Amino acid sequence: MWRGLSALAARAARVPGPGPPPTLPRGPPRLRAVPRLDVCSPTPRRRCGGDAGSRAPGSTIFALSSGRGRCAVAVIRTSGPASGLALRSLTAPREPPPARSASLRLLRHPRSGEPLDRALVLWFPGPRSFTGEDCVELHVHGGPAVVSGVLQALGSVPGLRPAEAGEFTRRAFAHGKLSLTEVEGLADLIHAETEAQRRQALRQLDGELGQLCQGWAKTLTKALAHVEAYIDFAEDDNLEEGVLEQVDRDVRTLKAALDSHLRDARRGERLRSGAHVVVAGPPNAGKSSLVNLLSRKPLSIVSPEPGTTRDVLETPVDLAGFPVLLSDTAGLREGVGAVEQEGVRRARQRLEQADIILGVLDASDLTSPSSRSFLDTVVAPLVAQSPNRVAQRFLLLLNKSDLLPASTPAGDSAPAGLPHLLLSCRTGAGLDGLLQALKAELTAVCGDPRTDPPLLTRARHQHHLQSCRDALSHYQPSADLALAAEALRLARRHLSHLTGGGGTAEVLDLIFQDFCVGK
Amino acid sequence: MFLLRDCGRRAAASLGRRLPLRRLGSDSAAPCGARFDVVVIGGGHAGTEAAAAAARCGSRTLLLTHRVDTIGQMSCNPSFGGIGKGHLMREVDALDGLCSRICDQSGIHYKVLNRRKGPAVWGLRAQIDRKLYKQNMQKEVLNTPLLMVQEGAVEDLVLTEPEPGYPGKCRVRGVVLDGSTIYAESVILTTGTFLRGMMVIGLEMHPAGRLGDQPAIGLAQTLEKLGFVVGRLKTGTPPRLAKESINFSILNKQTPDNPSIPFSFLSETVWIKPEDQLPCYLTHTNPRVDEIVLENLHLNSHVKETTRGPRYCPSIESKVLRFPNRVHQVWLEPEGTDSDLIYPQGLSVTLPAELQEKMITCIRGLEKAKMVQPGYGVQYDYLDPRQMSPSLETHLVQRLFFAGQINGTTGYEEAAAQGVIAGINASLRVSGKPPFVVSRTEGYIGVLIDDLTTLGTSEPYRMFTSRVEFRLSLRPDNADSRLTFRAHKDAGCVSPQRYERASWMKSSLEEGISVLKSIELSSSKWKKLIPQVSISVNRSLPVSALDVLKCEEVDMDLLATAVPEPLQKYTADRELARRLKIEAAYESVLMFQLQEIKEVQQDEALQLPQDLDYLTIRDVSLSQEVREKLHLSRPQTIGAASRIPGVTPAAIVNLLRFVKTTQQRQAAVMEHQTN
Repeated sequence: MWRGLSALAARAARVPGPGPPPTLPRGPPRLRAVPRLDVCSPTPRRRCGGDAGSRAPGSTIFALSSGRGRCAVAVIRTSGPASGLALRSLTAPREPPPARSASLRLLRHPRSGEPLDRALVLWFPGPRSFTGEDCVELHVHGGPAVVSGVLQALGSVPGLRPAEAGEFTRRAFAHGKLSLTEVEGLADLIHAETEAQRRQALRQLDGELGQLCQGWAKTLTKALAHVEAYIDFAEDDNLEEGVLEQVDRDVRTLKAALDSHLRDARRGERLRSGAHVVVAGPPNAGKSSLVNLLSRKPLSIVSPEPGTTRDVLETPVDLAGFPVLLSDTAGLREGVGAVEQEGVRRARQRLEQADIILGVLDASDLTSPSSRSFLDTVVAPLVAQSPNRVAQRFLLLLNKSDLLPASTPAGDSAPAGLPHLLLSCRTGAGLDGLLQALKAELTAVCGDPRTDPPLLTRARHQHHLQSCRDALSHYQPSADLALAAEALRLARRHLSHLTGGGGTAEVLDLIFQDFCVGK
Repeated sequence: MFLLRDCGRRAAASLGRRLPLRRLGSDSAAPCGARFDVVVIGGGHAGTEAAAAAARCGSRTLLLTHRVDTIGQMSCNPSFGGIGKGHLMREVDALDGLCSRICDQSGIHYKVLNRRKGPAVWGLRAQIDRKLYKQNMQKEVLNTPLLMVQEGAVEDLVLTEPEPGYPGKCRVRGVVLDGSTIYAESVILTTGTFLRGMMVIGLEMHPAGRLGDQPAIGLAQTLEKLGFVVGRLKTGTPPRLAKESINFSILNKQTPDNPSIPFSFLSETVWIKPEDQLPCYLTHTNPRVDEIVLENLHLNSHVKETTRGPRYCPSIESKVLRFPNRVHQVWLEPEGTDSDLIYPQGLSVTLPAELQEKMITCIRGLEKAKMVQPGYGVQYDYLDPRQMSPSLETHLVQRLFFAGQINGTTGYEEAAAQGVIAGINASLRVSGKPPFVVSRTEGYIGVLIDDLTTLGTSEPYRMFTSRVEFRLSLRPDNADSRLTFRAHKDAGCVSPQRYERASWMKSSLEEGISVLKSIELSSSKWKKLIPQVSISVNRSLPVSALDVLKCEEVDMDLLATAVPEPLQKYTADRELARRLKIEAAYESVLMFQLQEIKEVQQDEALQLPQDLDYLTIRDVSLSQEVREKLHLSRPQTIGAASRIPGVTPAAIVNLLRFVKTTQQRQAAVMEHQTN
């Protein structure tokens, strides 16, 4: 469930990074010296001090605002009251730059001090900025390692968190920086971003990391449900003995698991980058031939037998200058053996996650049941998407054009007037046309700053996992249980950013499932 | 049951009390065709609070009830409060409602639950003497200025053309009693389980809202004809046992708190000393109880029904079915100082009466127990609460308000909370003032009403602290500072005495906290003054008294012995001393929650136009699914809209854009007019 506009913006940003976060202190107070930032702008205008921007309530967000295609320079933006702090943290020990003028600075990771990149930095104190809040722009070198490093560095600054879909624009709107006409497209943009994030999330939940997160979320939700049950019912009803002890054990296990995950950086990096292009179609349409043709290597086994490809085979390729993860899938058909059925299931799953789908049909066999079924169940819903709500892009390819009688005009083979490309993987006819069309689609997908780049996704993951871990360290059931529960609530909120869910209903359901409560 | 044929007969007369009738306008002296500002139908926990609140706001109010002698009746459990529910009572009290003060005059066993779990989740609770509560409540209601009480059964509503500029297809103008009409500017319906109420024992079913009372059928039909969406729920109550037939000597005894903590901010103490209070006893079910339940399921139509019952207050049958082979608690609760009855909490049952007796006698301590009245189930209609705005006014009928169990809630406290809000808003509506809405960030009442009006409910809704996002801020101790000032300013429903007390407390707390912050000593100095304090002496920065107060083992008394000047004066008022300690404990966390609260409030401040027709409006691009959801719930703010499941971020932005455009257009029109 989506929480309010501004509420949503700040939901997860409560725990500012590692170190002793000021949330949930207990016992003796922890005094934290707020870093006073002395100079930022040489002009008498407002300085980018730690609390100088505090007039604007709300969290500070960051995002990669250039596209995720190959580019020489990547632009990373922040917006919110802690922008100044972020800039100071990354550019220390040098003086921060004057407002609204580009300066060259060495960016360092605020905690390790490790140099990240030499970048052009710009400081826009609010309200004269894109969003109306304090903003920072970092123009860094476009390599994935640099971008990833800077994003993670920003995530480690207290008060900063990755932006939600459309959040920059929404903030600009909220501060009166966009006219209503400019906002016309905002809903579509948020829709596209939400969709892109959803697909990105699906990809991850599919993998090992996703399964880990789901498992953690499940444990955490159960732990929270049991603490909540203990608060709401323990005195009036007889909850079983040892409820809190079990929660204690679960939280300890969870902390250990998160710790080892966060320590092992490699595991967090297992995100596949590049636009996801999935080749799909009925059996024996020539999907594997197409994949081999595009990747210029014999990746998939090709045979005239239907059902040759049974698993999803993926390969990173460079298409028209864009990084692409190309997936070959099993032909979609029903009623075959168990192994092939599993292949079909995986194929459908992969389709869900695709940025671009290449639907392949046998041009000489368009009326067969399997071709028709593919047209009805896969192609029709994709084509039916309204064009301005770009969810997934789709190209229909009619392969084996060499088998068509020479006399048949190309248009005749088109199923129900759908736009399509004719192709022969065997002769290579039509390949140029396909590459051109693919390039256009890839430009749209990769050059579009709206889609969530995997690098940012990685930073987001890191941020929420770390914040979840930090919140858990404040779970101390021995003292005030309401405070302890708050720590679990916060931890769960962070995790639910990665896994979805997170509502109260879920907790109540678990309570009533696990306990016999009531008078 | 008796209906009063001579309409307008003042029930007060039968009780020998004088009603402040002289305060009413001359037209109300004529009983038939009388006119009131607010008419409240139903004298239960929602109805009494609603009527009293409307009167406090200055509306001439009439409370209509089947029988005056059932006003203030506790028809189910003989207790008030509990975890979450105690919070609601504190908030009702902060709005100057009745139930907390009445409970402080009628309790017989006061006990705060969750004592060891942190003050944010303390649950004020008490066993209440049914007879005393009823007496005290009737005394209060019958002596409330501007409030009149009359017996009668409402058959129908008087409806007219809608007022322009407000949503709704018609407007309520009054109510039709048996043969007469009473006119009203606002009407509040608080009929509880009486809408097509059906009592069930074993396989027997007969129409009744509560044992011995007739259900309201005509009214149910009227509401259905108007197009209200009606659902069905069920609940139940345990049998009552004869006190002298129970062998308490072999059971666990629970004694009340000493000292008793009162419910009301206005009560320094409760009416009864701890040593004069009555104990409760605990016993348990056993496998034999399970057997009897399982062997006789075929004789139990209530359990077989598909109607949704509560998951947390289940009958013994559903406990046995859902959690077999377990022992369940049964609390034996007193019903009053001079009552011969015991209420076995946890034993709600709808078996045929003779089987109930059989089941009871196989429980430890109850071997010879005599059943005075069997347990029974109630099935009843409720109105989908999404048909109301957060002021509890219905979308369909202008100036018609619903409160209490009719909205799908369960519990006295939930009913009382809605009653106060409905009463205040019915009155504000008459005087044309904006509605009084408590937000989720301000109180449990806000969470309750927001949940109901935006999400609806499919089972009887009960308050839990786990439903509350800002649980650490919305505590029982600070309900007055959260609500009393707003209620004073925006609704005018708070007595001067309460307002003064709340103001004094607020300024004393603020002063106390700033004094505590200003006292700074080194950690070693603190350690010397208060040896038991757990502060690391290695800390280099000075530590404030507020920080020391945060330690679990330190309270204001201890701190004041260490630093008598200037802290001594903050220990004289016990409540102030306790509250300073609580404020200190949560201070740092709350600073962070405050930001989140502000953000939620920003969204709550973005009002959606009231008369928006989501199904047809063309200026906003919304999917059909989202349109239907918005149409059903009619959220009042962008914040509420975003909480409706299925309303997408894109839809919210489109709504936001629409709101801003409308505002701009209105501003332009205003400017044009002033030029």
